[in-house]
Amino acid sequence: MRRRVLYLFFSSVTLAVFYLVLGINLQHLGYYNHESLFYIEKARIVFEGTGLRLKTIGLTSPMIPFYGVLPFAQLNYLIAPVIASALGTAALFFIISLGVIKTTKDNFLILILLLLFIFHPGFIYMGCSGKGIYATMIFFFLFFYNIFRFYISNTTFHISIASILLVILLFCDYKFIWMTLFFIPLIISIAIQSLNLAEKQSIFRLFLSFNNPSLRRKLMNKTFAMYVIIFILPLIAILCYKLLNQAHANDFNYFSDSPYATWNVLVDKFEKTVSPSVTNYSIPEVSFLTSVRVLVYCPLILLGAYFFRSNTQHFLTLLIPFALVEFLKIHEENSSFLPMQYYLMFIVLAYLALVFRSQVIARRKVYKVIIVLLVIVQVFTGYFFLRDSMIQSENSFVTTFQKTNDTNEPTTFDEYKQMADFINHLPRKSSILIDDVNAYPILAYVKSLKNITLPYQDAFLSAIENPSTYVSYVLLAGDQNSVGGYTQLNFKYKLTMETRNSLTLEKVYESDNWTMYRIRVNGHEFDESLIR
Amino acid sequence: MALATSINDTAPVCDLLIKDHLITYADLEKISDFSKRSGLSFIKIALTFGYISRKNYEGCLSNAGYVFNDKVREEAVDDEVLEKLDLKFITNFFALPIRIENNRVVTLMADPTDREFINFIYETYGLEPEIILASDLDIVWLSHKLLGESYVKDAVFELMKSDPANSALITFSTGQLIFIFASIALMVVALFFNFSQTSILLNIGISSFFLISILFKLFLALLGSRFELHQAVTRDEVRHVVDDDLPIYTIQLPVYKEDKLIKKLIWNLQSIDYPREKLDIKLLIEEDDSKTLNAVKDLNFPAIFDVVVVPFHMPKTKPKACNYGLYFSRGKYLTIYDAEDIPDTDQLKKVIMLFEKLPENYICIQCALNYFNRNENFLTRMFTLEYSYWFDYMLPGLDTLDIPIPLGGTSNHFKLDKLIELGAWDPFNVTEDADLGLRAYSKGYKVSIVNSTTYEEANNDFFNWIRQRSRWIKGYMQTYLIHMRNPVKLYKRIGLRGFLGFNFFIGATPITFLIYPVLLGIFLAYVVLDFTWIRALFPDWVLFISIFNLIIGNVLMIYVNMMAVFKRRFYELILFSMANPIYWLMHSISAYKGLYQLIVKPFYWEKTNHGLSKTAGTVTQPKTTV
Repeated sequence: MRRRVLYLFFSSVTLAVFYLVLGINLQHLGYYNHESLFYIEKARIVFEGTGLRLKTIGLTSPMIPFYGVLPFAQLNYLIAPVIASALGTAALFFIISLGVIKTTKDNFLILILLLLFIFHPGFIYMGCSGKGIYATMIFFFLFFYNIFRFYISNTTFHISIASILLVILLFCDYKFIWMTLFFIPLIISIAIQSLNLAEKQSIFRLFLSFNNPSLRRKLMNKTFAMYVIIFILPLIAILCYKLLNQAHANDFNYFSDSPYATWNVLVDKFEKTVSPSVTNYSIPEVSFLTSVRVLVYCPLILLGAYFFRSNTQHFLTLLIPFALVEFLKIHEENSSFLPMQYYLMFIVLAYLALVFRSQVIARRKVYKVIIVLLVIVQVFTGYFFLRDSMIQSENSFVTTFQKTNDTNEPTTFDEYKQMADFINHLPRKSSILIDDVNAYPILAYVKSLKNITLPYQDAFLSAIENPSTYVSYVLLAGDQNSVGGYTQLNFKYKLTMETRNSLTLEKVYESDNWTMYRIRVNGHEFDESLIR
Repeated sequence: MALATSINDTAPVCDLLIKDHLITYADLEKISDFSKRSGLSFIKIALTFGYISRKNYEGCLSNAGYVFNDKVREEAVDDEVLEKLDLKFITNFFALPIRIENNRVVTLMADPTDREFINFIYETYGLEPEIILASDLDIVWLSHKLLGESYVKDAVFELMKSDPANSALITFSTGQLIFIFASIALMVVALFFNFSQTSILLNIGISSFFLISILFKLFLALLGSRFELHQAVTRDEVRHVVDDDLPIYTIQLPVYKEDKLIKKLIWNLQSIDYPREKLDIKLLIEEDDSKTLNAVKDLNFPAIFDVVVVPFHMPKTKPKACNYGLYFSRGKYLTIYDAEDIPDTDQLKKVIMLFEKLPENYICIQCALNYFNRNENFLTRMFTLEYSYWFDYMLPGLDTLDIPIPLGGTSNHFKLDKLIELGAWDPFNVTEDADLGLRAYSKGYKVSIVNSTTYEEANNDFFNWIRQRSRWIKGYMQTYLIHMRNPVKLYKRIGLRGFLGFNFFIGATPITFLIYPVLLGIFLAYVVLDFTWIRALFPDWVLFISIFNLIIGNVLMIYVNMMAVFKRRFYELILFSMANPIYWLMHSISAYKGLYQLIVKPFYWEKTNHGLSKTAGTVTQPKTTV
């Protein structure tokens, strides 16, 4: 056992190196995404910023992926998210493998897992992109692993651990809070199963327990108690977090609604600008089809469902993520497409089902053949899903992968880099006013935040009102900028300032979406020595 | 009535009892056989092993013309006569020679026809006895009062003599006093020089401590919950126990003014699944507790227990009574039950089975405690939740981590010889059980837990609850102070894990209760009342950390309470877990009371009144699966 763990550990380390090399190479080829740039910019504020950074530390969301980047930020800000995702994905491999070796001596499932982690584009994306998907997947796996363990062990331990893991999962991806809704039928099922009745069939057990006042009371009490023990911690954790947001940002939903706190708010504008459906004949992710897409993406889940066919609880558990993605499609009206993690979680779940039936798989060769075939299919569907994704960061991951070092096609992130490069080359004492609500990709590339006035600082509001007293440059979003409406520092600001404060904003650098202005007071350049 | 002249002509009492159909010949045979093996007199066995009730016995003798002297306590006593007696020997008979009068030894006897004791009188004093018929309880009372002084002194001071470092006679050592006052002085000086920074440090320190100690509790509970279905001893194993191979088992029942509960207690013990002759049940009654003694006299059914009267000596605590009882205990194993306890019927057998399975260094086994009146009111519900997580999750958690287990007040089963070797209970410690657990651990012995429950009466009265809890918390403080007199020595003896466990479990518990109102006050001042001074004193981040710690601490404690309902299927209690913050406030009140008492009267035993519950003490066996 110890030897196997050691092998697994070294495999995981190798896997981490593999992802890291790929990820760094991809960055060299120009692959970036908004999520990792957002984390980088916030990490820079944490380590380089001056002023009250508590809000940035505490309210940046999703919290766990952000905190995952922080330990590596001091090494290299731009690579830090890649290191985090590479290590995180390798850790996911290690965790799942540990689950496997606990249940079987057969190495087949480990091998399959390793193949998945090496060849499946979804996992490569998870490991190399610098996104926080790895954290979601780790805690998603652990949560369901403990739920399944609870079915076997019947101890409060596993259900309590599952609850704690769900809390962490929510801080990886808040949308998983909706999963609480779909647990209700499952918990009723568990409660019914646990009643001391001679009847074996679930439906008759339900009938009996509802028609007997004593059993009904027991059933209700147990259902309620189980629901509470699983979900009270996540719900209270979110409530506390919301109170914290209210106390520090005067908004209960600051962490999920404010573009200062999370990259999710603007990501639709940034990344999902490709219009779906009719014009380009793409399959729209309409509600019912989402589940079908999941089955196409992860046919292994069908085998998992087959293994659990005779157990209502296990089967219902597998259905919960389906209900979640369908719900998200209905609930998230603005979101046209589900990001990759909502598909990847089915592979993780399907694999979990295999882990819990590893003994059966080890005995029957036919299952091994089916698994190999399904995994091969999955690798291909994974590739096509990523390639044809309507989400830019997913789509460009594949296109960047296919690029060679010779091709030097510009990416959307080049504009940010160029602007950052301009900022880096400004005179040493130049101070700049930037609103990181939408300019965080630029700030992720700048060399230092030292002379940049940002919204987390007390001086920011004063600097907006009276820029000439505080800064020498101001970065404004251009009128073509799709997220220019989220900040005061847009093209309208120039007009207002020039009219009200008798300033002249002299354009010094311009890109498609951004313009850098130098501030001139009555025709004179701003005197740096007057900076407060 | 003097009977001496007619002794030889008198029919033995056993014949009278048979004649009155109070015992059978088979019983007589059994008693004689047992008497030969044990050295106990006929009357002792008949009255204390459930053959005949005291009422019937007195009635039988009265019908035969005997008259009981009910004023024997006022009889004159001759010290020279008493000097020749050994209390341990005397207690095997219900008889006591008290003086020599008219060349005869005036002897109190419950069985005036006990030839063996009469011969003893002849042999010891060389004189004929003059027998005064008296109730066995009066004789016991007088015997212990007159002959028990040396034993009771030993019971009080034995630990102090043999292991003064572990005695609670001295509450604060000099070193501790210096440390406490130096800390206070340092704090005052720091506040004087930099009030704001010191307040910030204190605030963050205590709130973080609060959270860490609760996180530790959650960790323990989770660890314990992992093994909630583990059965140390299965029913099947209990079924295979051979009664003849079982050793003598002592059960100590320390009671004080529990007259209302005596009947129930004795009934509960009758149902224990253990051979009657191998039970050595000692009802420990204080000398001045005539209420309980009278209640025992009035029992109208045969009972299996032996009364031991504990002579008056300060401090009047339960451990002193238990220590005294040890001198008269015959068992290989020993346990303690409270007056209102209802142990699982197979508890003793389970314990023996587990002792046989465990290595030799396991000297104590703690059973779970829970309540039979859980649905009586708010307090009993909260108490049930608390005990459920404590005994079902925390103690197994401590056991798993091999951290010293603070024993519960009752249902802890000891190897008697090892208990004596440890110096038994500390009569000056008001949570002698917790202290004993630690002492055992520090001497290399281990404590384990068994899957058996004793049901008690949950305190259903607020003031009674505060009294009881203040004693417990005071005891924890006492225990902490005793064992931390030399922290380095303690660390060397129990290792890092034990040391941390001890500090977080025993030390942190009273401290968290003491600091809870402080944190709550800050929370109210900041969030609810929004006082300006609090914002002026503490920066926002400090208040944030402080309130975060308070809220998360409370949430986790609520969660630990919620976990408690699962093992025992008390699902209806789950919502009451939410009231834990209020319950904690009650703890804080008790903690401050306990702290006050620790300073002004450290050995004072806050008596808990039992028998307040209106719920009948019947228990349905809980199922231990989720």
